Amino acid sequence: MRSSTLAADGPATSEATVRAAVVEALTKQESAEQVAAIRKIPADAGPIATELLTLWKEGGIYLHEDDEGKITPVTLTGEKDADGKQAALLVLDKSPFKDAEGKPILIDPAEVSGAETDSNIRRAMKDLTDMAALSNPDLKIRLRAVSDVGLELNLEKLPALLERQKVETHPGVKKALEQSIALTQLKSPDDAERIKACAALGAMGSIPSQDALKTLASEATKEGKKEVAAAATAALEKIAAHVKVVNTAGTMFRGLSTGSILLVVAIGLAITFGLMGVINMAHGELLVVGAYTTYVVQCIFGAGLTLAPFSQSSLTFTIPGMHATGATFSVYFLVALPCSFLMAALVGIGLERGIIRFLYKRPLESLLATWGVSIVMQQLLRLIFGPQNVALESPAWLSGSWVVNDIAFNWNRLFVIGFAVIIIVLTWAVLNKTPLGLLIRSVMQNRDMAACMGVRTERVNMLTFGFGSGLAGLAGAFISQIDNVGPYTGQNYIVDSFMTVVVGGVGNMIGTVISALGIGVVDQSLQQILGNPVLGKILVLGTIILFLQWRPQGIFVTRSRSLES
Amino acid sequence: MNRSFQRRESIIFFAFALLLVVILPLASSIGWISPFTLNTWGKYLSYAILAIAVDLLWGYTGLLSLGQALFFSLGGYMMGMYLMLMIGKLGQYKSDLPDFLVFLGHTQLPAIWKPFYSFPFALLMVVVIPGILAFIFGYLAFRSRIKGVYFSILTQALTYGAALMFFRNDLNMGGNNGFTDFRFILGADIRSDGTKRTLFIVTAIVLLGVYAGCRWLTTTKFGLIQRAVRDSENRVLFSGYAAANYKLFVFVLCAIIASLGGSLFVTQVGIINPSEMTTQKSLEAVVWVAVGGRGTLIGPILGAIGVNSLQSWATRAMPDYWLLFLGAGFTLAVLFMPKGLVGLPLQLRNAFVKYKSRSAADEDAPQIPAAAITVKPTPSTPSSPSAE
Repeated sequence: MRSSTLAADGPATSEATVRAAVVEALTKQESAEQVAAIRKIPADAGPIATELLTLWKEGGIYLHEDDEGKITPVTLTGEKDADGKQAALLVLDKSPFKDAEGKPILIDPAEVSGAETDSNIRRAMKDLTDMAALSNPDLKIRLRAVSDVGLELNLEKLPALLERQKVETHPGVKKALEQSIALTQLKSPDDAERIKACAALGAMGSIPSQDALKTLASEATKEGKKEVAAAATAALEKIAAHVKVVNTAGTMFRGLSTGSILLVVAIGLAITFGLMGVINMAHGELLVVGAYTTYVVQCIFGAGLTLAPFSQSSLTFTIPGMHATGATFSVYFLVALPCSFLMAALVGIGLERGIIRFLYKRPLESLLATWGVSIVMQQLLRLIFGPQNVALESPAWLSGSWVVNDIAFNWNRLFVIGFAVIIIVLTWAVLNKTPLGLLIRSVMQNRDMAACMGVRTERVNMLTFGFGSGLAGLAGAFISQIDNVGPYTGQNYIVDSFMTVVVGGVGNMIGTVISALGIGVVDQSLQQILGNPVLGKILVLGTIILFLQWRPQGIFVTRSRSLES
Repeated sequence: MNRSFQRRESIIFFAFALLLVVILPLASSIGWISPFTLNTWGKYLSYAILAIAVDLLWGYTGLLSLGQALFFSLGGYMMGMYLMLMIGKLGQYKSDLPDFLVFLGHTQLPAIWKPFYSFPFALLMVVVIPGILAFIFGYLAFRSRIKGVYFSILTQALTYGAALMFFRNDLNMGGNNGFTDFRFILGADIRSDGTKRTLFIVTAIVLLGVYAGCRWLTTTKFGLIQRAVRDSENRVLFSGYAAANYKLFVFVLCAIIASLGGSLFVTQVGIINPSEMTTQKSLEAVVWVAVGGRGTLIGPILGAIGVNSLQSWATRAMPDYWLLFLGAGFTLAVLFMPKGLVGLPLQLRNAFVKYKSRSAADEDAPQIPAAAITVKPTPSTPSSPSAE
């Protein structure tokens, strides 16, 4: 990235020159003279002019008048002494303000008048700072300035833009410059230039220029300039086509990320329900266990945590915090992931040993028993952590987005997709590449045969359920980064997860992946079309019910010769 | 089913009818029972109707529907629409329109609301709307042979979708807040003690009627096939019965029964909103049935009244812990009391007999492996509610 400012490129705009020009403006008596002086400050002066003018506008510059009436602009610095006086620095060269004998002059801000502004001066200042921002070394400021200047449609600023275009090297800013120049040229008196600008904007698919182009089209029609109007309309059509592409791509991307959320949440269920056939209504609560574990880990990394469960008793727990900050704090999530997995897996194993193992032959009753468990768990979590949602700080790296060709890829959505990919790969690897996976698959395919071969099926059941529950815990850690965490959060995900597994075809991992992504994309597309998330959701549920008419056993059917399966 | 059994059952039935329809309302009118208590019991009775609907599906046909709360609240909504219109100009906005419609900016009644000025029409809709919905959903589900847990999950999704819809304001069904603040029913003040007593009697009669009807249905050949579908659907299919049609009939019937319960519920509780329409509520009804004893008809009634009275006591006595007990108790009931309260005496007797025989056996031959005695397949649920 280009780091130097233009100030370094040309001798004419060195910092000293700028400071001198500002001092010149400050010492003028009349407002009109000051405006004229400000206009003379070099526009490509870089950040120093902006800095000084802002200080001026905010009343940070004081005008010291000596006995001979000579005015010296200064800024105040340091602590106030006993008389309320402060040391001063010259605006001219930032050196300490001294009298002829070299003794520092102290200034009482209450006695010395500050540099004042009026609306004309401020306008001149703004024009200058806007222009200066065009060459600001900070990429973000520069980019925004370039785009903003374009939207002003002010022909007077065209030369500055063209000037900047000659030296700009960053591709993003270059693109924005092109757009701003074309936008400004829409105001040009020369029809040919206007038509060219329209064509350029159309070719760019410039979304922000739509309003300007519409105005131009209607004005040109009124003035009877058919060619200009036609060019503007053509450009608008091109932009509309571009917007459509952007929207579709955005919808697909959002659909993928929604699908990824579904997938992460449902993958644990795909194991406990899909492979084992257990309807675990407490799956949502296992998710929440993972989310709260993440919360506790975050508190341990941060300021600690005090819990007062069972409000009637005086029982309190205090977990000391490490008061970590910055990078150390932001690794908490990496620590929280295994913790969430283990915690949820332990709860899941307890659930399996305590309740579910008695109900393998009665799936409907496993649904009911685990529903009872889910109520108990919700209430326990509520008693321990309180009924309110707990606040998790999302890491800073999750905000912001990456814009390619007007399509915004939000970091958190990219994170969602990446997380889903990792989870799927891990699950696949465990099931297909580890001894445990081999045992799991053998027991799920034919329990009796596996038992005959000496597999301890009871133990495999326990571990499988623990694995599925652990995945739910991981999903919870993940949910905690993108959603609120409260005792009842799990309920929001349970219906969707079951639907995902059923649509995918029970017992089939690939089916779950495809159905989650499919449901996500359909959901987002319907939202886009209907403009209403709730209606979209209702339609998705309806679509799923109809889909199961067509394929009652989901996308992938596990074939079996057994009559009852 | 022998004759003396039937006679005893009818005697008990009429005794209960007398108690519910005559004695309790009389006791209330002379002040022995407060109108509030009677009203609360009326609510339990309407829940009992819902519980019977759940049981007829789950206990007798093996279909665990998580959508019964949907049909229950649909019935409530249909009755609620009539009651909302009966408020007349007594609402906050002094308009002929229900308050929430005024609030949403309507100046005239939406067309679907207009017929609900008529009470018979509202009653008809209580039967027709849930019936049609159940028919469409059931037809699709049973045609593609969706059964077992898949059926549960799909009904769960149906309920979820419907609740989302009813939460929306543009459905013109009151959105979040639903319907409340009712004033009149058939010209009578709905808040007066007399009306409440009458509503209690009506609820009791409907409950008794539903009970008697279901009791009869389960003793017919239809009931036999119903239970056969529950125990082995494939064998029923291979015997040449169209199991799907039987299931569809039961599903529609149960939707209508639940809806009747819901319409009575609304008149007595005075409010209906989409939070009644959740899977949670359906599952609560399943809890009543499981605790009371499924596969019997008296079980759901016992369960609905028992669990609800326990709940209204416990939510006051220990608000924080009640749900812990409900959840844990329910899980234990599913694990250890597959036949619920109704089956408990028999279960205890069996356990006692087994214990005695075991201790006798232990004295004779201590070497008998424990597994030989403890492992015993769960017998399928007995069909007769009057087994005890």
